[in-house]
Amino acid sequence: MRFEEELVELLPRLRRFARGLARHASDADDLCQAAIERALKSRDQWQQGTKLDSWMYRITRNIWIDERRAAGRRGFHAPIDDAVTQVAGEGAAEVEAGALRGDVDAAMAQLPDEQREVVMLILVEGYAYREAAAILEVPIGTVTSRLARGREALMHVLGEAA
Amino acid sequence: MSFDPGTIAAFVDGELDDLTARRIERAVESDAALAAEIARYRALTAKLSAHFAPVAEEVVPERLRALLVEPGVDTSLAARRHAKRGSFAPVHWGAIAASLVLGLTIGLRPWAPAADIASVNGRLVASGALADALETQLASDQLANAEIRIGLSFRDKQGRACRSFEARDLSGIGCRDGGHWALERTIGGRASQEYRQASSGELLTAAAAMMAGDPFDVAAERAARDSGWRN
Repeated sequence: MRFEEELVELLPRLRRFARGLARHASDADDLCQAAIERALKSRDQWQQGTKLDSWMYRITRNIWIDERRAAGRRGFHAPIDDAVTQVAGEGAAEVEAGALRGDVDAAMAQLPDEQREVVMLILVEGYAYREAAAILEVPIGTVTSRLARGREALMHVLGEAA
Repeated sequence: MSFDPGTIAAFVDGELDDLTARRIERAVESDAALAAEIARYRALTAKLSAHFAPVAEEVVPERLRALLVEPGVDTSLAARRHAKRGSFAPVHWGAIAASLVLGLTIGLRPWAPAADIASVNGRLVASGALADALETQLASDQLANAEIRIGLSFRDKQGRACRSFEARDLSGIGCRDGGHWALERTIGGRASQEYRQASSGELLTAAAAMMAGDPFDVAAERAARDSGWRN
């Protein structure tokens, strides 16, 4: 199948992943658009025979992380692993209230970025630990510990309300 | 409870070796705290899957599709299209005419079932590649370009295992019933006008109405498959 056709097939899942990262639908689609544009530009770097989906997820995730870091430097967000101040820009009180209602989006928004992406890849997108580690280019142990912390936080917030 | 959280997580995520997984399964029978902990993990996965699943069922916005299917966005793509148009020899028109005739023939013979569908005792059931996909393919482990894509798996109110699927010519929901996958709901495939017009959320809505409880998470889907989709 042609490269573009494969990407088209992948779009529904990619949008789902992006929605988990970026939270707002329009931001998520902007993220997808940037990822597609980058993929088309750097298609030579994709090795035929390797999984296109992993490659696309990595591109998407890298763009998102770069944006979050740039926003952090501009002062909109606190450093990447500081969950509490991170959501301040998105209305911390609103997010917190939503999380208490059992709102999944609000609960996800409370997670630090590096936990949110692991939760999305493994619990929503269904990747194996090993595949998620390859997409994020971190060791498996890092993936499992971030997953554990993210999962514990989500169960804590959503558990009682579920 | 003799298992640490990491092991329980790995069990729920389908990441444990068979031996340890079986030890946990045995322990669950006599350890209510462990069973409750596993249920807590599974509930979270199911909640997240169910929350984000509708996004993948939405119609992809045109501005994203256009980047990949419209000419003129990517120069190399546009150039290839142009080259292709230039070399459109009569033989191609012949092939197109032939496929049109074939399409009409199929359209005029409604009694001849399209591939992948059979009729058993007056009920439509999946056959061929579709039956294979429903029987064995895991949503969590399918190629991006799989011919048939499995969406949600769940139990319906009659206790049957049901799975939504999408293929080029047909999309729908199949439920395991009497050794077959009965097609409970069908709409056109990815290639059809009907599919593009109907919001593909339609299938999800249908699934939600049929569902008893939450859709299967990764581990539950695998477990259901491994046990042959029994009620």
